[in-house]
Amino acid sequence: MIDSQQASAALNDINDVVHRLRQSQIYQIASLIIVMWGALVFVGYLANYTWPPQGYTIWAVVDLIGIAGSIAIAAFSGVGPGAGAYALRLLVAFLLFIAFGIFCSVVLGHFRPRQMLVFWPLFTMLFYALAGLWFGYAFIVIGLGSSALIVTAYFYAGPALLLWMAVVHGGALILGGLWMRRI
Amino acid sequence: MAELDEIIHQPLRLRIMAALNALPASTGLEFARLKKLTGATDGNLGAHIETLARAGYVAVDKAFVGKKPQTTVTATAAGRGAFARHVATLQEIIAGKQP
Repeated sequence: MIDSQQASAALNDINDVVHRLRQSQIYQIASLIIVMWGALVFVGYLANYTWPPQGYTIWAVVDLIGIAGSIAIAAFSGVGPGAGAYALRLLVAFLLFIAFGIFCSVVLGHFRPRQMLVFWPLFTMLFYALAGLWFGYAFIVIGLGSSALIVTAYFYAGPALLLWMAVVHGGALILGGLWMRRI
Repeated sequence: MAELDEIIHQPLRLRIMAALNALPASTGLEFARLKKLTGATDGNLGAHIETLARAGYVAVDKAFVGKKPQTTVTATAAGRGAFARHVATLQEIIAGKQP
C-alpha cells in the first residue's frame, strides 16, 4: 500500500497527462484552422493586389469562408467531452474581439487603406498571443512572430505591401500552423 | 477496502491509462502521440502497452496508413473501469479512508 503523499503524486501525474493531452488536442485543431487561414489570407492579398477596387468584397468573402471553415473544423474534429462548450466560448470571445475591431476601425478610427491593411492582421495576431496565455506558447510565438513581420512590412514594403503581406502574413500562418502540428 | 490495481499503478502505465481514459470511448491514440504525451522511449512504451493489452485494459490496432505502419492504442471498457477504481482508491488514500 502507498501513503497519501504517493497517492497525491500519482493523481498529479494523471492530471499532468490529461492537461498535456488537452493541449495537444487544441494544437491539432488550431493548427488546421491556422493553416486554412494562412492559405485564405495569402489568396486574399494576391486577389486584392490584382483587383484593388474589389478589396472590401474580397476580404468579406475571405472572412466568411474562414469563419465557416473554422467552425466546421472545430465541429468535426471530435475531441473530448466538454470541448464543444469550450470551443463555443472561444468562438464567442473571437466574435466579440472582431466586433470591437470593427468598432475601432470603422467608427472610432479613420484609417487609410495602408493602415487598415495592417490593422486587422495585427489585431487578430493579438488575439492569438492572448489565447496563448491559456492554450500554450505556440500561439504566442505565432502571434508575436507574425506581428513583427507585419509591422516590418508596414514600414518597409512600400507599394508592394500587399505582396509582402501575402508572404509574411499568409506564409507565417501556414508555417506556424504546420510547426504547431509537430510540437 | 479497495485495492490499488498493480498493473495500472506502475508510473508509465498510469500515464498511458490516464491519457487513453481522457478520450471518448472507442477513440484511441497513435503510438507516436502517446510517446510524446508520456515522455517514454519506443521500447519502454511498447513493453508497457503489451502488459496493459495482456490484462485486457487496452486494445492495440496495427494498420498501414499509406506505406507507414501505424499503431493505435485504445482503452477498453475493462481498462476504463479499472482506471476509475484505481483513481477512486488513490482518492480514498488521500482522504484518509484507507491505511
